[in-house]
Amino acid sequence: MSKDFYQASILPFAGIIIKICRAYTNCQEDFEDYYQEVCLQIWRSKVNFREQCAWSTWVYRISLNVCLTLLKKKKKNGKTYFTSDVLPDVVKIENRAFEDESLNQLYAAIRHLSEVDRAVILLYLEEKSYQEIAGILGTSANNIGVRVSRIKERLKKLLDEKLN
Amino acid sequence: MKNSIETIWKEGFLNESSLVAPRINDLYNQKSKHLEDRIKRLFRINLVFIVVMAIVLPVIHYFLDAIWQGVSASLLLLLTGWYSIRQAEGINKLDQGATSLDYLRSLNQWLKDVLSRSEKIARFYYPLCFLIALSTVWSAWNKQGEFAVETKKKLPDMIFLGNIPWSALLIAIVGTILIFRFSRRIYRFDVRLMYGSVFGRLEATIAEMEKLNEDA
Repeated sequence: MSKDFYQASILPFAGIIIKICRAYTNCQEDFEDYYQEVCLQIWRSKVNFREQCAWSTWVYRISLNVCLTLLKKKKKNGKTYFTSDVLPDVVKIENRAFEDESLNQLYAAIRHLSEVDRAVILLYLEEKSYQEIAGILGTSANNIGVRVSRIKERLKKLLDEKLN
Repeated sequence: MKNSIETIWKEGFLNESSLVAPRINDLYNQKSKHLEDRIKRLFRINLVFIVVMAIVLPVIHYFLDAIWQGVSASLLLLLTGWYSIRQAEGINKLDQGATSLDYLRSLNQWLKDVLSRSEKIARFYYPLCFLIALSTVWSAWNKQGEFAVETKKKLPDMIFLGNIPWSALLIAIVGTILIFRFSRRIYRFDVRLMYGSVFGRLEATIAEMEKLNEDA
């Protein structure tokens, strides 16, 4: 991968790639693996980019697909993620990826969601329209609307329980 | 909850220093580890299969009245297993190299060397397996020489060498020669069945890494 390609086509979107990878990983080591795999996949698939959508949309799509695939592989290997409806009392040290404690808590709550719900809420929080989210995830805008309100409710509940 | 999730998100990322991209280096480190693990796992599965068959075959042959053939097959399998273990030890002595690419190249070369050595052994291994299988079939058919006696009665003109009709011997000889001749192909087919996908992935990964280096 050339330095130019990385700096021009990946680095400007590093923020969103990091946000997505953080939502699908539990520790720094996994996070770095996922990040690298996403970058590689973007480089590999540059020849398939037909400019039918914005480059940023392409990057979102690849990042989500790579994270979902890696997560599936990891689950297959027996390493599962927590699925309970209660957040742990203390967010694990390795999950304290951000300086802001509320953000760490929000991430911990997001990791409790299903893989697809995680993708939906990340894109929603990145202020993508329902139409754009639907385009990236291959579903309808209506479906996204319904999902977003349901996910927000669940996240609110998880965070409230944690705070009370 | 004091703030909405949208506010937590926005405010949280306002001055977030952890959004600095991690350094991209040694991109294929994890990948090469996975490939090595997969090859080792396949070696292990193969070995377990060999050992299980080495135990099961004499039992099956006992019921077929061909115990010696069962023991021979078992010994042959155990020898194969021992050879596999010795070969597999080589993977730990591989040059880790400066980069993942160096390591994958040496892994690929090591695999090619193992295959080339094993091909030579397969020249004798497959014909021996064929002869043992043929001998088992003959023993199962010809319990206490009944089959030979009946054949001699039905076909009095047939030439026998001991208890074995010469035509059966001819089939055995021709079969053995053919298997000896095509052992390399049979071995490659055998290996492709077991390790094909992982070999393909290894070569594809090396090609991709070389392309990455060219682009850099």
